[in-house]
Amino acid sequence: MRCDEVREQLAEHMLGTLDEIGDAAVRRHLRGCAGCRAESAALAEGVSTFARAAHDVEPPAGLSDRVLAVLEEEWAEAVPAGGPRGRGAWAARAAAAAALVAALTWGVISTIRAERFEEAAGRYETFLGVLGGEDVRVGELHAAGPQVLRGSAVIYDSKVGQSWVLVLVRAPGWEGAVNVTLVADEDVRIDLHPMEFGPGGEASTWLVTSSDLTAFERVNVWDETGLIASGHVERA
Amino acid sequence: MLTVRSKGRGTDAALMRAFAAGDTAAAAELYRRFASRVYGLGIVMLGNDAAAQDLVQDTFVKLWRSAGNYDAARGRLETWILLVARSLAIDALRRRVLDARVLERSGLRNEASEDPGPEDHAATADLSDRARRAMETLSDGQRAALELAYFGGKTSAEVAELEGIPVGTAKTRIRTALLKLREALEERQREV
Repeated sequence: MRCDEVREQLAEHMLGTLDEIGDAAVRRHLRGCAGCRAESAALAEGVSTFARAAHDVEPPAGLSDRVLAVLEEEWAEAVPAGGPRGRGAWAARAAAAAALVAALTWGVISTIRAERFEEAAGRYETFLGVLGGEDVRVGELHAAGPQVLRGSAVIYDSKVGQSWVLVLVRAPGWEGAVNVTLVADEDVRIDLHPMEFGPGGEASTWLVTSSDLTAFERVNVWDETGLIASGHVERA
Repeated sequence: MLTVRSKGRGTDAALMRAFAAGDTAAAAELYRRFASRVYGLGIVMLGNDAAAQDLVQDTFVKLWRSAGNYDAARGRLETWILLVARSLAIDALRRRVLDARVLERSGLRNEASEDPGPEDHAATADLSDRARRAMETLSDGQRAALELAYFGGKTSAEVAELEGIPVGTAKTRIRTALLKLREALEERQREV
């Protein structure tokens, strides 16, 4: 994008009203253009000064206690009551996670079954019990165009610790970086780190987060030209 | 312990990481810095103290649940928080419309008035006065476009349609309004 095109869209980018693809293109331009970043900062000042002028009102005195009390309830419910704790539990989680990743070789994703996991993760229920998680969802990624592409996505939903996402793609001959986004609905998206294709046309990216990922059901892979691949994740 | 990989850097990123980890001091610092603007946004958009307080609570809960999504490289923390609050306020307004329709269809009347009380009128009047002074440098078109985009979350295409202007004009008005506000308030601060 040219600078004049980006600056036309900076205000909407600032106010959060650009569509995801347009917003990603603006962010990409800003990463490499100091001039546009300076204008972006000026617009952010405008938003800030408008907010301070238009709606900066001291809240009632007791509201802070109320909000902090509610947050403490949230934090308390995020800690498992009787789940695995300590270094032993972490080692078991790491082993189970490694077993899952090892199982995600090409062509395996569509045949994942509980019996494919090894040892402590030999049964699906045991696997979930070790991780303390709620569910594992998997999905195949399908090319949006004529290019040859295969991919897989795994989302591990946990209500007691860290949830994570793993995306693997193989597209022979493909080069460079592409973007990956988790999608819940039109307004709720999470960007993973862009993934870079290696010499064999393979790429991967991952995310570990304390956020609740249960609402995210679609994985989009895209670049400046548009959508490259996408897939729907569901329970294995 | 599995750790969250973050692209964040600087004070705001560190603050959000601490907040995401359930740090009480970080929560208190976020409240100290941003609660007044979220509460004020609630007063302006929702019209009363109770709804504005609910907005503050709901915003901070959502901030914690989505703290892992914050990326300092993508913009200011303040802007991100204001957009979260605005989205929640718009949802609250939509629910009000739905609730009013349900009540109307059922023949019931809502005894609890949504009209702001005397204290709310005073706060709103004060807000209006400050907002008017800040907005004096804007044309009517610039002000309308900014308010639609900021409070309503309207895209430039939607602003253009509502205002009956070309999309390019809508984009220019919003951008110019923000830049002029920044200049105008900086001048006032220098005069004080």
